[in-house]
Amino acid sequence: MERTGVTIRVEGLTKHFGKVAAVQDLSFTAGPGVITGFLGPNGSGKTTTLRCLLGLVRPTGGEAVIGGRPYARLADPLRTAGASLEASNFHPARSGRAHLRIQCRTAGIPQSRVDDVLELTGLTDAANRATRGYSLGMRQRLNLATALLGDPSVLVLDEPSNGLDPAGIAWLRGFLRRLADEGRTVLVSSHILSEVQQTVDRVVVVYRGRGVAEGTLGELDPEGEGLERVFLRLTSDTPAEPAARTSGREDR
Amino acid sequence: MTPRLVVVEIEKFFSTRAWFWTALLLAVVAAGAVAVMGLAAPYSDPPLPGIDTDQGVRAAVGVTALLAAVPALVGVVGMTSEYQHQTITPAFLAVPRRSPVVVAKVVAYAVIGAGYGVVAAAMVAASLAGSALVLDVPLGAGAPEIAGMLLRVVMAMTVYTMIGVGVGALVRHQLTAIAVLGGALYFLDQVLLVVPGVNTVYPYLPGGATAALTNFTLLAEQAGSETGLAMPDLLSPGAGAAVLAGYALAAVAVAVVLPVRRDVV
Repeated sequence: MERTGVTIRVEGLTKHFGKVAAVQDLSFTAGPGVITGFLGPNGSGKTTTLRCLLGLVRPTGGEAVIGGRPYARLADPLRTAGASLEASNFHPARSGRAHLRIQCRTAGIPQSRVDDVLELTGLTDAANRATRGYSLGMRQRLNLATALLGDPSVLVLDEPSNGLDPAGIAWLRGFLRRLADEGRTVLVSSHILSEVQQTVDRVVVVYRGRGVAEGTLGELDPEGEGLERVFLRLTSDTPAEPAARTSGREDR
Repeated sequence: MTPRLVVVEIEKFFSTRAWFWTALLLAVVAAGAVAVMGLAAPYSDPPLPGIDTDQGVRAAVGVTALLAAVPALVGVVGMTSEYQHQTITPAFLAVPRRSPVVVAKVVAYAVIGAGYGVVAAAMVAASLAGSALVLDVPLGAGAPEIAGMLLRVVMAMTVYTMIGVGVGALVRHQLTAIAVLGGALYFLDQVLLVVPGVNTVYPYLPGGATAALTNFTLLAEQAGSETGLAMPDLLSPGAGAAVLAGYALAAVAVAVVLPVRRDVV
């Protein structure tokens, strides 16, 4: 499928909740055709950043744009960017199919897409059951199905592998790869490194709301010592050997 | 306003079974309350006006307006469940300008509230007719007059449902919102009614305005006779309607402005 690539760009993004600075002067980009991992420990500002990118949270400063525009100004948001955020944004008494139908109608997307995305995510058999009976893995698949409704060029996924079993994780890996190979921009947040290492092409590392590293796996881990060790060094308060420092770390 | 989004809200409303149980509850209680008032009136102490009098019919219909809390709670749940189950997130992702979604919700719930009103009105009419048949008395008001009273009940329920949506947008936490609304409608109104000096505001509260609209003075009279307090005069029905419309507008403003401005986290 031919797609015109759409780039995500975050520039000087800052978000304060009261006195808490959740994100501080964060900048990075995620381009088409690659899977970009957005990594950081819990509470490091990943979700806040993604919510700013999706127009759900108003930044205190800076900007986060998709194809050069803030999400809220996209002409056809769900056809440009699909998102999966927390583990569950469905009404427990509604079926997966009803959830997707409602979302289609809200966005003005043809109802025929419902069966397409159910098929794509392997949820067809469970589609008519109320989501309260869904396992965490099925919820993640329904989230992914929701994100894909508009056949978007950009996918923003917050911890999509949470709750998946090993077979599910392997499936997700292949699935994301296929989406990226189709020319889509895929931004995936995670704190589970072993799995990220096998999935992503580039990584952006955040710690305490600030960007501490950005680059391809090869650039961040030239010695091949493993992403986990690099990550722990980048995200610990004890100073690492100066040689191992990566660009962008200015905070402490 | 986008009609498509109003249809979505109606679809959401019917996609779970809650609508059926709440409508059933309202129907049963409305029919029951009217039947009790109609059938027990001749035997009650102090005596209630019988349904063969104009005042008796008015009291029986007016008591139904007190059940407007049921559709009001439906409105609260319609709004708060979006936050409780975080379904507000996909809705705002699909329509990032947000206001079309919340405007559609208020419009849809005004229609839904009117629907509950029609259910209640139908049950009241049937129950009045049934009671008159059982007691073998003619109703104290003609059909057009009764229809006019029932229309006011429908109006009150429509407004209460919109108030419910507004309270839901304001409070967001479902149980807290239900407690706030229930407390305001069933407790605060009545308490203020019997506090000397303060009870002058009663006519302007939702309960007082509804009583004025439906010309239902029993509650105020009862409170007056039990406490010996001078009761404030209710507004005229037209002014009561205007006050209720004011509450509806305030609820719409809250329901639209807050969700549009606040962060969704």
